[in-house]
Amino acid sequence: MTAIFGYAGKILDIDLSTHSIKTYLPDGESNRKYLSGVGFNAKVLYEELPAGADPLGPENILVFHVGALVGTNVPTASRSEVSAKSPATGLFGTANSGNYWGSELKYAGYDGIVIRGRAAHPVYILVTNDNVRIIPAGHLWGRDAWETIAALRAELRDRDMQVASIGPAGENLVRFASIENGPFDAWARTGLGAVMGSKNLKAVAVRGTGHVRVARRREFMEKVAATRKAIYASPFYGPFERFGTMLVTLPYQEFGILPGRNFQTGIVDGWVESRSRKQVSRYSNRGVACIACPIACAHWVEIKDGPYKGLKVKDMEVTPVIGFGAGCDINNLPAIARITEICQRLGLDMVSAASAVALAMELYEKGTISEGDLGYPLPWGSEEQTFKLLHDIAHRQGIGDTLAEGTRRASDRITGSDKNVPHVKGLECFLIDPRGRWSTWTLGYITNIRGGDHLRTRNPVENLRYNDNPTPYRTEKFAFPEAMYHNLDMPEALKKEIFDPTTRDVDIPKMSKWSEDLISLYNATGMCIRPPVLHTVGPTLIAGLYSALTGIDITPEDAIQAGERTWNLQKLFNIKHGEKPAYSDYPARFYEEPVGAGPQKGRKLDRTKVRETLADYYRARGWDPQTGKPTPQKLAELKLDDLF
Amino acid sequence: MATEIIVRPWQCIGCSTCALTCSLAHHGVFDTGRANIRICRDEFAGTFELRFSSTCNGCKQCARVCPSGALQLVDVPGKKEREVSSR
Repeated sequence: MTAIFGYAGKILDIDLSTHSIKTYLPDGESNRKYLSGVGFNAKVLYEELPAGADPLGPENILVFHVGALVGTNVPTASRSEVSAKSPATGLFGTANSGNYWGSELKYAGYDGIVIRGRAAHPVYILVTNDNVRIIPAGHLWGRDAWETIAALRAELRDRDMQVASIGPAGENLVRFASIENGPFDAWARTGLGAVMGSKNLKAVAVRGTGHVRVARRREFMEKVAATRKAIYASPFYGPFERFGTMLVTLPYQEFGILPGRNFQTGIVDGWVESRSRKQVSRYSNRGVACIACPIACAHWVEIKDGPYKGLKVKDMEVTPVIGFGAGCDINNLPAIARITEICQRLGLDMVSAASAVALAMELYEKGTISEGDLGYPLPWGSEEQTFKLLHDIAHRQGIGDTLAEGTRRASDRITGSDKNVPHVKGLECFLIDPRGRWSTWTLGYITNIRGGDHLRTRNPVENLRYNDNPTPYRTEKFAFPEAMYHNLDMPEALKKEIFDPTTRDVDIPKMSKWSEDLISLYNATGMCIRPPVLHTVGPTLIAGLYSALTGIDITPEDAIQAGERTWNLQKLFNIKHGEKPAYSDYPARFYEEPVGAGPQKGRKLDRTKVRETLADYYRARGWDPQTGKPTPQKLAELKLDDLF
Repeated sequence: MATEIIVRPWQCIGCSTCALTCSLAHHGVFDTGRANIRICRDEFAGTFELRFSSTCNGCKQCARVCPSGALQLVDVPGKKEREVSSR
């Protein structure tokens, strides 16, 4: 057999209905075109899942695939992607996570696991090198994710067993249930935990004692050293190492773009003193890293006094802090740390969960739902009641059963609530307010494959210094020294189209396409999108690392095209599974209601300008400007026409 | 002067860059089980153990790549040690 470099080599294909376990080797051409991670997953799901498949039915396919660079010392190469048809959106569901699960699967000898069918009773999958088994999990069903992971490590007598687990939320088919990656990380968004639950699959436990080979060692070591040097040289590196994602908590309040009280206000009273990055050092004095990561953006949190004394958790991450701290106005970080623990145990996506709780709080404020409906009062900022509501959602009790359907479906069931739901295509966008800041990120809420997503359309040189922008919708501002855009790894011709050095304008439609293709490349190779990496590690370094590691030579153009190819393939999946052009639009609130308070008070979105910008984005992508459908020419250019 | 590794365990972030680099340098593959330094993680406690094996020959690659300062190179007075190189 030809030696395999970089990849582990094999794919596991498991049918839980028949208990069949097979392995196969993808061909080299497939690896070159789709690389790994989200690329592999998109190809499998597009080709094999029929239109009309029920996301919670046995016909859905759940695919795990590890980035090709993972298992090595490439800085931040820890990420793996899980995908399926989403129970939340009915479209391409996918999520990305780091920690140590992906590397362990590769050391066990597999790059991915394709899971089909439905087990008759609860099971877990155990992979220990060549030994793969489907094992009864009745004793684990009903237990939360932390208990499950601890129990499996104990009964298998291996503390280094890496476990992907669902909690009660996944078991109860909550449409935004996560798959937990160890106790503190997750493949969180789009409800993949419910897909696992629908298959009666409680966990996938992995242990590997093998290795990853390198094709051209000296060249690879040079590329790794260059990557490390680039990341350390980023002006984002020091701040991110120190504050992690909490870094942005100050600018967002200053700009007035927080989702305060379910997007009613852009600022939050007492934010800086109680919930911003200034508070991090009170609760954390060290970082925790995923495998091979020099940044360690996650904080190890220990609460030493107050009602949550004794709580220990990784992480003080900005998504729950903004979602619950601004969106629900819960006014202290220890309570949000408790919520983080609860969501990790129950197996809930914290973005969607925060949006669901904020929706309930706003409906309670307005009298649309009552204490009788909830079983308890739910004013803004409630702590104990939020914990209770999260449990009710995970266990589908009372009004929790309605909210467990996700905010879009919940608003169908609760009369008079449809204007209060900030979702796009059924996935909640719950970080920053597009009425107050128009940027690549905010356009990304409506262009994203997953729906209202803030993670896959990120300008690598995002401006966090100021928010003033005389030409929103069309452009955003570039706020860094000129050298930074000269050094950006982007074709020179494209730089001239995107950046205007005189006005410092950045073309949003074109930067959005580039950002999505770049992040798609990241998600297809296992790299992490944190700013110190995103702005310094581009297609040139990634192509060099991939080629030296695997021996499959690709150019930087091949690499970014692979990212574009994967994005287009996910879009084709969405169209095949019923996405309509009208779905790519903001919730009504952003057009009809002005921001209630703060520097952005009074602002609303302009429909005409949004549509124009979206059409320009479609043109930049080579898609039909009216419908957003990839054209035959674009598909031929990307060599996707062989799928038809 | 000799160059030595100092160890500050409280600064370890649990990234295993040391072990990954060591295994490539000494065994030509990424296999943390065979590295001369291993990071053992107690995930629930948020703690890490740095375990050096006596198979370590002091090449100091781990300290050169450690991002957190848990392993660091320092010059100390004294006899310059015999140079050791990695494979």
